Amino acid sequence: MSGVTFKQFKFDAHKAIADPVLQGAVDGATRTFRTARAAALADVPDVDELRDHFKAIRSATLSRLADHLETFERQAAAAGAHVHWAQDGAAANRIVVEIARQHGAQMVVKSKSMATEETHLNKALIEAGITPVETDLGEWIIQLAGEPPSHIVGPALHKTRQQVAELFSREVGRPLDPDDIPALTAEARRVLREKFLTADIGISGANLAVAETGSIVLVTNEGNGRLVTSAPPAHIAVVGIEKICPTWDDAAVWLSLLGRSATGQPLSIYTNTITGPARAADLDGPREMHIILMDNGRSGLIGTGYEEVLQCIRCGACLNACPVYQEVGGHSYGNAYSGPIGAVLIPLLFGLESNEALPHASSLCGACLEVCPARIDLPRMLLDLRADEVDQHILSREEHLIESGIAWLLGQRRLFNFLADMGRIFQKPLVDQDRLLAVPPEFNPAGERRLPTLAERSFHDLWNNLREEDDPAAPVYGWLHLAAVVLALLFILRLLKGGKTS
Amino acid sequence: MTARDDILNKLRSRGRVPETPPPVWQSRRRFESLAARFAESLPKVKGEVIRVESPDGALETLDTLFNDLGAQRIVANGDLPTLDWAARWPDREWHLVGQSDGDLRAFCAAADVGLSGAEAALAETGSIVVAAGPTKSRLATLLPPVHIALVPESILMPDIFTWTAARRNETPANIAIISGPSKTGDIEQVLAVGVHGPRRFIVILYGE
Amino acid sequence: MIDSKRVALKVTCMVDQVMPEVGVATVKLLRRAGYKVEFPVDQTCCGQPFNNSGFRSRAVQLAQRTIEIFEDYAAVVLPGGSCAAMMRKEYPHLLAAWPVWYERAQALAAKTFELSEFLVNQAAWQPQAVPDAPRVTYHDSCHMNRLIGISAEPRALLTAAGCTLVEMDEPGRCCGFGGVFSIRLPEVSNVMTEEKLRRAAATETDLLVASDPGCLMQMRGLVHKTGVRVEHLAIVLEELTR
Repeated sequence: MSGVTFKQFKFDAHKAIADPVLQGAVDGATRTFRTARAAALADVPDVDELRDHFKAIRSATLSRLADHLETFERQAAAAGAHVHWAQDGAAANRIVVEIARQHGAQMVVKSKSMATEETHLNKALIEAGITPVETDLGEWIIQLAGEPPSHIVGPALHKTRQQVAELFSREVGRPLDPDDIPALTAEARRVLREKFLTADIGISGANLAVAETGSIVLVTNEGNGRLVTSAPPAHIAVVGIEKICPTWDDAAVWLSLLGRSATGQPLSIYTNTITGPARAADLDGPREMHIILMDNGRSGLIGTGYEEVLQCIRCGACLNACPVYQEVGGHSYGNAYSGPIGAVLIPLLFGLESNEALPHASSLCGACLEVCPARIDLPRMLLDLRADEVDQHILSREEHLIESGIAWLLGQRRLFNFLADMGRIFQKPLVDQDRLLAVPPEFNPAGERRLPTLAERSFHDLWNNLREEDDPAAPVYGWLHLAAVVLALLFILRLLKGGKTS
Repeated sequence: MTARDDILNKLRSRGRVPETPPPVWQSRRRFESLAARFAESLPKVKGEVIRVESPDGALETLDTLFNDLGAQRIVANGDLPTLDWAARWPDREWHLVGQSDGDLRAFCAAADVGLSGAEAALAETGSIVVAAGPTKSRLATLLPPVHIALVPESILMPDIFTWTAARRNETPANIAIISGPSKTGDIEQVLAVGVHGPRRFIVILYGE
Repeated sequence: MIDSKRVALKVTCMVDQVMPEVGVATVKLLRRAGYKVEFPVDQTCCGQPFNNSGFRSRAVQLAQRTIEIFEDYAAVVLPGGSCAAMMRKEYPHLLAAWPVWYERAQALAAKTFELSEFLVNQAAWQPQAVPDAPRVTYHDSCHMNRLIGISAEPRALLTAAGCTLVEMDEPGRCCGFGGVFSIRLPEVSNVMTEEKLRRAAATETDLLVASDPGCLMQMRGLVHKTGVRVEHLAIVLEELTR
């Protein structure tokens, strides 16, 4: 799997920015989610306290994660489920394929699952000769389009009705009207209903896994989560180990924040809790249930400064709030996870060096932290990841030189002021009437945006007229300073020309 | 070493100091009338609530609904009030879960209405809780295009917190909290109902 | 509450070198509010750019330098929300590993104020309403708004001075600056700015006011596309209260 270098990110971001259809779709969808979330949270008494409480639950759970996982395993087994453990995504896929083979499975239906997007399970199934069918409408759309999801909650929110109608028309072999969304939905119902009833296995993720009863909880609006776990004879759930919730009381807190943060719903339409396979006397439901507890890089974060990222419940609120996500779209993050949570999670799970651009895909505006139900400090972790890139020399040597040089210079007040004064003289041919720098765009590191020039006089200089008392220290410049000027100018020139890592 | 031991060892070797979890969050919802709140909440998500005063009123409402819907085939779960359903509506085809012979799954797939009771109802969100069991089918509330639930006011509680607090020890294989008809916004955020589950979700809320 | 009637001005690098008129306006406003302003001339950068780009050790050096320069003053006032947030929130965090420095950072944080915050909450200064004051819209700078929670104060000053405040759609939405972000990913940064300016222009006001020199510089670099006039709060207030 290729990573997200600066070059790659810029390329994908450029593509997204230049696509007005995509821009309109992402703007509209994220705004709908944002507005609904705000209204739903405003309706909850003591919602800030509830969020603090939830954070405390998540933190305490992660502090004893091994114990809770053992409790979960014991209880799930007692309810008749088979519990498997997978160190990484490949292992999780192998276990799924193996179970499918034992059942002689030809076709499996899937309920939307970020964990199986993370492991690229569909690819593994297809390679094993098994056909996976995504049943969440959004996931089905992007499966037909052959694309990864562009949003954690609305995987196909970048698709327009025209694009959806085209995909569905191809699938059903006759033209469908893009403006009749109920008809498009009905068509999906018809095609997928038959899949539910004939699938050999249902595969899901889990929004959370309740340790005290060994239950998994699936939240959907369409009902596909219930169908996938009720209609086929066997059910496999792939669960990230951080999704553990110790008790049902904790689950109530979790659920009451999940729907509201994700789509602005007090509860999603179906909260489906599954505890083992169907009991002997039950008349429907799967006769066999498997739960795969997957690590895939998570355990290494426990006890580090990045542990907090494991408190994430995949509600997508940070994506909807993020002004960068809204411009670059989900696909620029090169992964099933995107937006601020993706920018932190992807480097942590899949490698910082290969995903060097992601910690920088943020203006650190803090909108993500503001909306996170668990108050995960994503801006703090983005800063930490940037510092890791410096410490691990992932950023170029050139950049190290420039940053260190400027930082040193800023510690030398007189020299700095003197250099700035020199700059005032040398910039003159480049200053336009608006006091902006007149440079051709191809030499402008800010692209279309025009950079400011130095003012005619600095504030330090103006202060002499403003001050009420005399300051005895007047600046004295020597030839040594002059020599340093030349060096520093070189630094600045390099910054303007090639400061960007590319 | 097995994957299990490896993961658990890794987690335990991180030296994480255990934290004490916070005390249980108690519901802070106080509704003057649980029934009124329920009846107010569910329609906001396109669910339907019909309030009647008595169980008899509920059955009369069913008369009307069956007629309006043209319901011919009805699958009914065993969590409903005791009644000879087939005798009351003899001209309709019934599958009583756990009692009737025949293929439950096939009947559900072709049924016009799924009829159920509920374990509990949550006023805040207009939700009902249904469980699986020997006479309670999952598919009965899922496959038919219409799901009608008969809900006595006595099982109303304020919210999900009061529900988890009242949870019993035995956990059935499946519990679903249903808060409206099946819906999606996956095509341009336009609300479309009945994508996989029932298009209509009707709760008859009755007094006793 | 700060008792002293003497405050130190930390002018911020960008104001010092690019928009010194903001510094001049700040001095005048503080004097109008009854304060004697001191300007420690050794000041340079607070270290924020290095903190944001991951060069923490460089940020630490500049933080220590700034603490040494300003810690003897009764109060420090900045015409820049993100530099104020840096000193208030990031210094203690950056220096947490060194107890003595941490204490000093905390002490400085407790007496560091963004300009509008100082005028409203410390100086209790109330400008006189001017009859023909402009219609304005206000942009919330991210760090000032979200890290140190100042969004009501600048609005209170503008309306007290007689301005009609017309809120734009999502005034807390980032302007696209983000420091080094605006250079590393300029195309993304610039479309964010254009979105911001579109929303400001939709208010049909005379002026887009902001309290952070970074946002100001960013938005000015693209105003030629919209014709919106972008101005620092200090300039607007100073002109209105002459």
